[in-house]
Amino acid sequence: MTGDCEVVSMHSKWGRGPNPYVYLIPSLVLLGMFTYYPMLYSLYISFFSWDIFTPQPVFCGFDNYVAMFGEPVFWLVLKNTLMYTVVTIPITMAISLLLAVLLNENPGWMRNLYRVACFYPTMIPAAAAGMLWVWLFNPGIGLVNYYLKKLGVPTVEWLYDMKWALPAIMIVSIWKNFGYYMLIYLAGLQGISRELYECCDIEGAGFWARLRYITLPLLSSTSLFVVIVSLINSFQVFDLAHVMTQGGPADRTNTLVYYIYQNAFRFWNMGQASALTVVFVLFLLAVIAISMRFMERGVYYEV
Amino acid sequence: MKVRNRLVMLAVAIMLVVLPLAIGSAQKRIVRLTFYYPVGVSGPLASVIHTYVNEFNNANPDVEVVPVYTGDYDPTMQKVQTAVMGGNPPDVFIVEISELPTLLAMNACEPLDRLASKEYLSDFYPAFLENSYGQDGKLYNVPFQRSTPVFYWNKDHFREAGLDPNQPPRSWQETEDFARKLVKSDASGQVARWGVTISGGWNDWLFEAFVIQNGSTLLDYRKQRVSLNSAEALEALEFWVKLTNTLKVAPPHSTWASTPTDFVAGRTSMLYHTTGVLIFIRMSAQFDYGVAFMPAQKSYGAAVGGGNLHIARSIPEENKQAAWRFIQFLTTPEIAARWSRDSGYVATRKACYDVPEMKAHVAKYPEYGVARDQLQYARGKMMAPGFQKVREILKTALDESTGGKALPKKALDNAQQQAERLLKGWASK
Amino acid sequence: MKSRRQSPLATFERGFRLIGVSKVHLHLILFMVSLVSLTPYLWALSTSLKLRTDVFTPIPQWIPHTLNTSNYREVFSMAPFGRYLVNTVIVVLGILVIQELVIVLSAYVFARMRFRGSGILFALFLIQMMLPVHAIIVPNYLTMRKLGLLDSRLAMMLPFWASGYGTFLLRQAFRQIPQDFEDAALLDGCSALRFLWQVLVPLAKPTLIAHALISVVTHWNDFYWPLVVTDSPAVRTLTIGLAMFVQQESGADWTLLMAATIFVTAPLMVTFLVFQRKFVESFMSAGIKG
Repeated sequence: MTGDCEVVSMHSKWGRGPNPYVYLIPSLVLLGMFTYYPMLYSLYISFFSWDIFTPQPVFCGFDNYVAMFGEPVFWLVLKNTLMYTVVTIPITMAISLLLAVLLNENPGWMRNLYRVACFYPTMIPAAAAGMLWVWLFNPGIGLVNYYLKKLGVPTVEWLYDMKWALPAIMIVSIWKNFGYYMLIYLAGLQGISRELYECCDIEGAGFWARLRYITLPLLSSTSLFVVIVSLINSFQVFDLAHVMTQGGPADRTNTLVYYIYQNAFRFWNMGQASALTVVFVLFLLAVIAISMRFMERGVYYEV
Repeated sequence: MKVRNRLVMLAVAIMLVVLPLAIGSAQKRIVRLTFYYPVGVSGPLASVIHTYVNEFNNANPDVEVVPVYTGDYDPTMQKVQTAVMGGNPPDVFIVEISELPTLLAMNACEPLDRLASKEYLSDFYPAFLENSYGQDGKLYNVPFQRSTPVFYWNKDHFREAGLDPNQPPRSWQETEDFARKLVKSDASGQVARWGVTISGGWNDWLFEAFVIQNGSTLLDYRKQRVSLNSAEALEALEFWVKLTNTLKVAPPHSTWASTPTDFVAGRTSMLYHTTGVLIFIRMSAQFDYGVAFMPAQKSYGAAVGGGNLHIARSIPEENKQAAWRFIQFLTTPEIAARWSRDSGYVATRKACYDVPEMKAHVAKYPEYGVARDQLQYARGKMMAPGFQKVREILKTALDESTGGKALPKKALDNAQQQAERLLKGWASK
Repeated sequence: MKSRRQSPLATFERGFRLIGVSKVHLHLILFMVSLVSLTPYLWALSTSLKLRTDVFTPIPQWIPHTLNTSNYREVFSMAPFGRYLVNTVIVVLGILVIQELVIVLSAYVFARMRFRGSGILFALFLIQMMLPVHAIIVPNYLTMRKLGLLDSRLAMMLPFWASGYGTFLLRQAFRQIPQDFEDAALLDGCSALRFLWQVLVPLAKPTLIAHALISVVTHWNDFYWPLVVTDSPAVRTLTIGLAMFVQQESGADWTLLMAATIFVTAPLMVTFLVFQRKFVESFMSAGIKG
């Protein structure tokens, strides 16, 4: 713990010192305008009818919500969103953690190469990554099916298969992000004192025991950070869906983010889009709350 | 500050404001028009459009058209709507023909009756004008980049399967039979080559064609009636599902962009797609291929497609006049014929085919005449306000059925219900 | 513990040997993963150098049959990618400069001052981190429309000027700096603002640089917000330009599409490769502070 400074009341130290609120004005104005006001505005508009047939908003109570819950596509979209979140985040975390552990014990010049090779996809915009993988996933002449066939694994139509389109997008997402989280874990690992491992060594604990009782608990704050970052990154699914599948086939890759976009900018139903936004924000807050509760229990801070 | 200094400053300020205005008005007024255009088929067509725009600008020094490429049909419509709603519409724009009712609901289009003469209009193929009139009977757009779906087949594959390479299937039944002969599986039992592909992406457009071939329509704009679940439509969908799920000779899903690639790569022997990809196929296919009418059921049939030229309503009158001149330029037989040759779209006017270069072109590449000849069996494309949502409803029904997740009857009934609910607001207007 | 000082590698090796994994296996796994990770980009590169008709073969060829560099030239002539590049740079820098200013001010407040409501206000910043512009696209779009800012570079920058993440990062960094500095400055008669800009900021430079790199990468690759809020090619950025280019080609000419993709990703990629140590360190340090 390095110099976590004592916070002192401004008046005693600086006399007529800076007013904290003044310093915060720029941020607060921006936050207000582009984060909090929009959330409230969405809530407000969600109770209005505002679409092609109704050019000016007209109050309609819960109609938008009723219509939303009555559309089968909505439930499909919700399911896709949940599946996407629940699958990509843990898998990416597991892969990056494992690789970080491996990389941590790997001295020498190759380490740099490995880091670069795994991390560079983060530099690519999701839209471009999507393009690359549409080409790779082409069922007839794409690389993926070619190598699968060579390995004797049965091939699928990937982006054109209702069952495999979402997994395909998940694969792209994992590929794109695992390097970044690997670095974060690497940083976390380097903060774990060697002595702890040596203690373990004396006791004769094996690789997996060491992982379970020392590494993982000490990485819990890092893991929490990774969860938050991956939640933010999971929005990239919009870019991927837009470029790779446009939500298809048959809405199997349509997620809440994309569905809101469709309602707002294709169907021009602002009322419906706002209702969906409200649902989405609630969903996000729920996921955050759950992960914080989940992680809080396991978070240790080194004293 | 001294009074004199202040007066000097004031004088300078006034001069700085007045001078440019004075100079400006001394020059001739140039009308600047923004022109939003999509490119709906593959190819470096943005530069082609720019060539035409430059030719027009050079020939008309008092008008300057500024072309703005706005993506595919969907993003173009979004941009047009955004601009209209923001009070800053493009002066001239091309959108997909089914979007007209939506634009009319937004009061975005200028009626063109006072500008277009009967003579001028009579030269366009009638099928192409079916999406140009609002419910008030007024003319709101002019055909420009038009197409119909056509049928492509791989002659080499036909030869290999023992079929006459110069005889495409002429009916739904023949399509089914040929596809069964053409489909190929590899060693592990997976499909290596589809017999026929009914392209996804705009499969709603292709479905419309099938329904027309079966003697019905999906939507009647004039009568404000939608019938997605007619007996004919159900038959058509059941035929599709038979191909994809029962016989497994057609892929259940695909995208508009992936299927021409599949065809060229030999992954499908027959393909339903727009005449617009003709150039792509001609340049990329390394085999003998044919182009024909889509196979018939009760008759041949097609729905037209593509985009038309519109003028925005809330722009100054002189802009409208200039815009009309630009539209007239683009739709002269010579330019329209050039456009057809460069893009693969069907030339919109009968006079185009009399232009010598066009005659030679069609003689050299007879497939260019196929879509034009199919026009006699073509109807207008279905359109309604909020069309995007109707389209989505229909596509869901089609995709879920071919994907084996829903029964065609139920899917179409469902779609019909949703469409009726959506269009309730329309009928009441 | 000194007597038992063994290299961590040896410790790990012993653990690995318990499950039959040796150093060679370690390298093998890492190598395979790296290879798989690199493949998509290399394949795109290979495709971009082929002739358009050469891509339809069922057997993929890594080395192009005939080398064809004209795709890159064609891409440039089909869309004004140069302008897109300029726009992207303007937007990214515009975001970065204002961001750094704003977060320095707010981080200082939360790091050094105690005042009523600081807890709640800080929570507001944290929540903003989790609610990026994607979640509230529609109302933000409507705001831009009301402000008349649609289709402008400013619109692409505005929502990102306040960064909860940046404030959080920088606050941690400020807190690391010992109180003694502040006391010394006070004794010298320094004002708070001067102290902030002339002492704290230079000391927190590594974090500021780390944040800058992350911000640049993130906003270089922005897609959804620019898509919704801009229309015309005059202000279009690289990622949107690529998406529209793809639409123009209807996915037909893969060699062109791959060339466009490589071109759009090249600036950031090259910068990354040249400064990769700095990039890696920055992204890693962000993790520690988190």
